[in-house]
Amino acid sequence: MKLAKNKLQQAFDLMAKEANLLVPMKIEGVTKFAPWGAEGELAMDAVNTLLPPKDALFPQTEKMYKYKTRLTQVESLEEIKETDKQIIFGIRSCDIHSIDCMDEVFLTRGYVDSFYSRKKENLTTVAIGCTKVLPTCFCDSMGLNPVAAPTADVQLNDLGDYYAVKAQTEKGEALVNLLKPLLEEGDGEAAALECTLKVNMDGVQKKLMNVKMFESDIWQETAQKCIGCGTCTYVCPTCYCFDIEGKECGNEGYKFRCWDSCMFSEYTRMAGGHNPRPSKKERVRNRFLHKLAYFEDRYGKGSLCVGCGRCVADCPVDLDITMFIDKVGALKEAGSND
Amino acid sequence: MSDMQAKLRETAKKLLESGEVGYIIGWGKGRTNKTSPVFVKEPAKVDELVWNEYCLNTLAKYTMDNMYPEKKIGLCVRGCDSRAVNRLIQDNQLKRENVYLIGLPCEGKKDPVTGEMVKKCIECMHHNPLEADVMVGEPVQEKGYPDRFKDVEAMEALSADERYEFWAKQYDKCIRCYACRNVCPACNCRECYVDQYRVGWQGKQNNRAENQVYGLTRAYHIGDRCIECGECERVCPVGLPLMKLNRKLLKDANELFGEYEAGMNTEVKPPLGTYKLDDHEEYM
Repeated sequence: MKLAKNKLQQAFDLMAKEANLLVPMKIEGVTKFAPWGAEGELAMDAVNTLLPPKDALFPQTEKMYKYKTRLTQVESLEEIKETDKQIIFGIRSCDIHSIDCMDEVFLTRGYVDSFYSRKKENLTTVAIGCTKVLPTCFCDSMGLNPVAAPTADVQLNDLGDYYAVKAQTEKGEALVNLLKPLLEEGDGEAAALECTLKVNMDGVQKKLMNVKMFESDIWQETAQKCIGCGTCTYVCPTCYCFDIEGKECGNEGYKFRCWDSCMFSEYTRMAGGHNPRPSKKERVRNRFLHKLAYFEDRYGKGSLCVGCGRCVADCPVDLDITMFIDKVGALKEAGSND
Repeated sequence: MSDMQAKLRETAKKLLESGEVGYIIGWGKGRTNKTSPVFVKEPAKVDELVWNEYCLNTLAKYTMDNMYPEKKIGLCVRGCDSRAVNRLIQDNQLKRENVYLIGLPCEGKKDPVTGEMVKKCIECMHHNPLEADVMVGEPVQEKGYPDRFKDVEAMEALSADERYEFWAKQYDKCIRCYACRNVCPACNCRECYVDQYRVGWQGKQNNRAENQVYGLTRAYHIGDRCIECGECERVCPVGLPLMKLNRKLLKDANELFGEYEAGMNTEVKPPLGTYKLDDHEEYM
C-alpha cells in the first residue's frame, strides 16, 4: 500500500483520534517525539531527533504509586497505571532497535516491569526508512539497516511523493486498516542507504569481554576528558537506568522513578558513603562496557549501542564512542596497551 | 594559524623534555572538524596538539582532577581559559605554582558543524590571555563587546508574566544532564548541592519547578563569579540561553557594587565574596 505525502496530516488526524500520536517535532529548537498538535513544527526531515523516543515507554519522570497514611497506618496504596494507547510515527531503525533492547531489559530474565510492559502493550510503532544520514550516524556498522526496521509494527519508506506502507505485525495491520481510507494500491522498494561513518566492531566485543580489559590503561586515557555530565546517557535511546524516590506532602505522597545516569557520582554512592566507582575512569568504563560488552553477556543480543550517533554529536568534549571502538579494535590483544 | 600550531608543539616539546611540566592540557583532533581536549605526557606525542579555528573547549577545570600534581601542569590558555584559571585560584581550587600557562591569543572559534563563529566568541571581551608564563603567537586586537547587557535589557523590558513564560518554556526543555554545571569553572564545589541527596535540596523529578530551582540556584551560586566564557550555553544539548540569566546577575552586581568583571585577576574579590563599608544596604 502507499500513502500520498499530501495526505500525511489527514493520516495524523485519523491516528490521533485512536491514540496519543507522537511525531517528530521541533519545539523551542529541540527535536523530539511530541504529541501531534503540540506547539511547534513537524520535523519529518530530522534524521535523528535530538532526544530519543524512549520517553514514550520510559518517561524521564514516572509516578509509580500513590499513598495516604493516617498516623502510622497506611490508609491507601495504589499503583498508578497508564493505559493510554500510543503511536510513535516516524521512528528510525536505530530507535526501533533501541526498543528491542529495552524490551530485553524490562520484560525478560524473570522480571516483568509492569509500568514498561503496560506502555509497550499499548504502543504501535511506525518506522520510516532514512533517505539521508547524518555525519554521526553509524547504525549499519552496528548491524542495522537505515531503510528497514523489521521489528517495527509498520514500515514506511519515503519514495518521493508518497510513502510505501507495509504492516509487519498484527498491531501494524490494525493501524494500516485504520488508515485504509487514505491509502492507495501500490508498492515500491526503498533505495539502499549507507552510513558515511564506519565503525569496525570485529573482535571488539570479544576483547572487551576479556577480563584483562578491565584494568587496561585505555580507560584512564579515554575518560580523562570526560566532564561527568549526563548528556550521553540522556540522549542515548538505550540508557535505561533509573532511581526511585518519594515525594510526600502532609499525609499523602507518591513514589516516582526518574532517569539516572551512571556518569553521576551519586549514582553508585552507597548508604555508608562508599563509592565503588569513585572517578570518571570507572564511570566511563562502566558505560562503554555496558554498551559494548555487558549487554551481550547478559542477553546475548549483541551491542546495546544502536549507532544512532546522538552521544557522538552532543558530547560537550567529543568523547566519541566510535573512536573508542576503533581504539579497542586496533589493540593487539585484550589488555595490551598498544 | 598553522604557524601558531607549530610553535605550540615546539613549546610543548621543550616543556616536556626539560621536565618543567608533567603533562600538557590542550586540544587534539576529533573525527570530524571537532577538536577535543587532550592530555599530552610524552615529548614524542606533541603532534597530538592542534591549534585551529575549532578549539572550543575551555580547559582550566581539568586541573581540578589533579590538585596535588608532582610537576606543574602545562595548560593552554586563551583569554577565557586564563580567566577560568584566575577563577579557580581565587576560589582556592588551584595554586598558581601548580600550572604553567601557555598563552594563545585567540580571534574566536567556529562551530565545527556550521562553520560559523560561535556565540560565546562573538561575545568575548578578552581575546588575549590575561596571564601566561609563555606566549605563543602575537596578541590580537581586542574588540570588546559593547552589547554585553543588551539581551538582559531586552528581557528586563518584558513584563513579569512574559518573562515567566519565556523561562518556563526554556526550563521545560531542560533534561538535567548538568553539562552546564560540569563545564563551568565557577561551579567548582567539591560536592554540588544537587548531589547532596540526603539533604534533598534538589528534587530529582524532571518538571518545570524542579528544573527552574536547579537553574536559578546555579545562576545565583555563580552570580558574581561567572567569567562569561559562555561554555554552559555552548554545551547545553537543548539550547537554553543561559548567558541571559548569568548576565542578568552580573548586570545587577555591576549596578549595585560598581563595575566588575570576574576572573580578571586574583586580587579583586567578587562583590558578593567581600564587603565594603559603603556597600548598598537596602536589605540590612
